[in-house]
Amino acid sequence: MAILAVDNVSKRFGGLVAVDSVSFSVAEGEILGIIGPNGAGKTTLFGLISGFMPPSAGDVKFDGASIVGVAPHLLVRRGLSRSFQIVQTFADMSTLDVVTTAALVRRPLLEAIDYAGHVLARVGLQGKEHLTPKQLSLQDKKLLEVAKCVATDPRLVLLDEVMAGLTLAETEAPLAVIRELNAQGVTIVMIEHVMPVIMRLAQRMIVLNFGAKIAEGTPQEIVENKAVVDAYFGDHVDA
Amino acid sequence: MRPDFYRTLLSPWPWLVLTVGAVMPLLLPNYYLHILTVTLIYAALASAWNIVGGIAGQISLAHSLFVGAGAMLSSALLVKLGVNMWLGMLAAAAVSAVIGALVSFIDYRFRLGHLSFALITLAFAEMAEIYVIGTDFLGGASGLFLPRDTGDITQFQFGGGRGAYWVMLGMTALCILVNLAILTSPLGYNLRSMRDNENAAQAIGVGLLRNKTLAMTISAVLTSIIGTIYARYLTFADPYLLASPVLTIEIVLFATVGGLGSAIGPALGAFLLAPVGEILRGQLGDKLPGLHYFIYGLVVIGVILASPGGVWSFIKSLGRRRS
Repeated sequence: MAILAVDNVSKRFGGLVAVDSVSFSVAEGEILGIIGPNGAGKTTLFGLISGFMPPSAGDVKFDGASIVGVAPHLLVRRGLSRSFQIVQTFADMSTLDVVTTAALVRRPLLEAIDYAGHVLARVGLQGKEHLTPKQLSLQDKKLLEVAKCVATDPRLVLLDEVMAGLTLAETEAPLAVIRELNAQGVTIVMIEHVMPVIMRLAQRMIVLNFGAKIAEGTPQEIVENKAVVDAYFGDHVDA
Repeated sequence: MRPDFYRTLLSPWPWLVLTVGAVMPLLLPNYYLHILTVTLIYAALASAWNIVGGIAGQISLAHSLFVGAGAMLSSALLVKLGVNMWLGMLAAAAVSAVIGALVSFIDYRFRLGHLSFALITLAFAEMAEIYVIGTDFLGGASGLFLPRDTGDITQFQFGGGRGAYWVMLGMTALCILVNLAILTSPLGYNLRSMRDNENAAQAIGVGLLRNKTLAMTISAVLTSIIGTIYARYLTFADPYLLASPVLTIEIVLFATVGGLGSAIGPALGAFLLAPVGEILRGQLGDKLPGLHYFIYGLVVIGVILASPGGVWSFIKSLGRRRS
């Protein structure tokens, strides 16, 4: 059964259509990649799914039930967790405290503190428990974004460019974590610009351009799709 | 609660400070006991305010409303209707809790930013002061005189100077304890995450309305109770002191100087500054009007410049450097 079903979802900001009648579904246990040029509406789409903004039209179903209008923190409790493209820092909290707060979703405090330590070690942030997010490098901040998601024990995670700005070598750590999560049965929907990474990871991909879905298929099908190539390089490129 | 909550309770320091505090009335002349009592009132107020303003990071300027409700409403119920002041204290605390919850709901519903929140809470406080001054039942502009304190505890009378001091000492300890309990429990984690970033807090499962309302009602109830004690101590419920937004500014000042967000900082700020203000006014108030404000202002600026993150974090950093 589809754990997530997005049905004809649109978002308009005044005259601008940021997301235009997008439909897709994600099967439990799948890794779905979402790509598209800057401004294609990818992050807006995540905002609509995760409850941070209401869609102008259409429906989103999580686990068979509509989640339109459900507050973000309640979605997290139901198992839908997201990361942010722009790393969200907590100025005065240590990374351990931040991840503990996330772990509190399903655990009493002492267990949550314990679990948060494990999660930080798992994403490769051991030894940095008492730094504040501001003291972390970009790579570590991205790992912290992933750790926050993981600590809520999600069934579905929406990862928004957790590897953007990292070198290919630096993507190894988050990649391993995502694979491990998926192996445990967590469904993953990820927006990513780093093509070699998403090509290796995603089982299926969808492509957005100007808010609309222009292609869907396996990574191989996507790179061979003419509409996708046109969207990225313009349609006057002579091969 | 985290183990460090119990460790702090079991460590000798708080008990030592409490014991020294408790014997003070036996050693100090009345004038200094009065200054210490007023200091305790401000320490408790700053500490109660810290739950919203420090831990949750929402600069509430509505707190004079809660002090005013605790002072004026309980006094009016006693003077006008003969209601026992203990009941009046509870009634006022309940009113403060409801108003606090309403403020939180407005904040949540309209997604007020920090500045809008400060301005709206200030508007609430201004309206409250105008309402009190315009309402005969609450004493109007002339305030309410309370019956003489005969030391009958069943009537919320603590026997003047020493009694009021001990009650305030207990109240201040309670406020600090509540701060510590919040900081070492899930509520503290939730509030701190909200303070730093509301969107990111929601994304890790923190419900804004529930946590904001909890913080505000706890803070409002404590503040209201301190207001009732303050009015009883002064034997006169003065709206221009107890319902005036100027009072909130002092609370915010003490809390900020002491160190926002820590359990002990805000009370510490009151202990550093309130006696200085009182003594300066006592020494200089009649010699050159205004001079004590001037000197007080210089002291405040000096303390802030010496420890921009609050006195408490300054002390902690000293401790770390030594170890």
